[in-house]
Amino acid sequence: MRPILLSGHERALTQIKFNPDGDLLFSVAKDQQICVWYSHNGERLGVYKGHQGAIWTVDVDPTSTFIASGSADNTIRLWEIKTGRCLKTWDFLTAVKRVEFSEDGRQLLGVTEKRMGHLGTIVVLNITPDVDAEQSDEREMTIVCGESKATVAGWSYLNKYIIAGHEDGSVSQYDGKTGELLDNVPLHDLQVTDLQWSPDRTYFITASKDKTARLTAARNLEPLKKYTADTPLNSACITPKKDFVILGGGQAAMDVTTTAARQGKFEARFYHKIFVDEIGRVRGHFGPLNSVAAHPTGKGYASGGEDGYVRVHHFDKGYFDFMYEVERERQNRL
Amino acid sequence: EDAERGASADLAVVEARRRLLDEWLAWRASVEEELVEDRLDRGLPEKPETATKLPEDGEEQVIE
Repeated sequence: MRPILLSGHERALTQIKFNPDGDLLFSVAKDQQICVWYSHNGERLGVYKGHQGAIWTVDVDPTSTFIASGSADNTIRLWEIKTGRCLKTWDFLTAVKRVEFSEDGRQLLGVTEKRMGHLGTIVVLNITPDVDAEQSDEREMTIVCGESKATVAGWSYLNKYIIAGHEDGSVSQYDGKTGELLDNVPLHDLQVTDLQWSPDRTYFITASKDKTARLTAARNLEPLKKYTADTPLNSACITPKKDFVILGGGQAAMDVTTTAARQGKFEARFYHKIFVDEIGRVRGHFGPLNSVAAHPTGKGYASGGEDGYVRVHHFDKGYFDFMYEVERERQNRL
Repeated sequence: EDAERGASADLAVVEARRRLLDEWLAWRASVEEELVEDRLDRGLPEKPETATKLPEDGEEQVIE
């Protein structure tokens, strides 16, 4: 599994995202630019320039027409993928830490940072799926997170729920239409750092500073699985095709107090999604992994590091052939 | 004797995995059923039309 190294960012990566077909990979970093790459060969296709601060987050709409980005410059921007045109800028009072398009691409949520005098919020914007249309300034909905600020959030299947992960480690379920808080459960002991969906958005994985990742059902926040690592986690994703999850994390050098804790933490860790065993690690980064993303067709994954690099991996045959005895047994019965 | 003990431990692990796999598949079935109901309630087709088609083994195209 030889990786492709994408070097184009000058500072730490914050999030990476494949488009729905998986032919493009978008990356954002603290260096204020959004890059788009061909995922099969790592060629850089373009750069989207305009943000005036670190970019924390990026997402692609389901038709691969738009991307949205959120930044420390207190804006969410909407871009046309093909031309690089910035189509719309929404201004907020604080930094935007997370954006995500709904399943149908008609809505975009943004998580805004908490700061003196401002509570953290989750805002919902309506998106007109036309590159030449005027996008509305209006906020369709604003959810105020009074208890603990949201750090990540996303849309469930059919926009039924907005699921958010919080600074205190809890996870909330909000009504996707009204924003009403339906449930809040203390899933993690420390801050939730990432939330990514299963392909059908019926369940999700959260990563946390508490060194665990958890798989949870969107419909009732039922805990399904727990994956235990030995380092704080920044990101986690679910692989299509094979029942695995990939976790990324690691402690920044300045946070490391013992030399022992320094060894071998900058690795992507693979766990079996159902049996929760760790099944392998992939080395390569020189710093913590800040974002991991599974290729939507399951043929590979990518990781973005504190070291400023993106690494794209295409799985080899051994990966697809790997099966537990009971999985093989079941397959043979079908 | 050691081999026997090892074998029964292995058997227990395999049994536990079989149970986990069965539980997971049962849970998936119930979720998928609910999802189809929710989709039909909203006047949507049972399955999303734009779902990304997963390539089968061996028929993946490599674009150079």
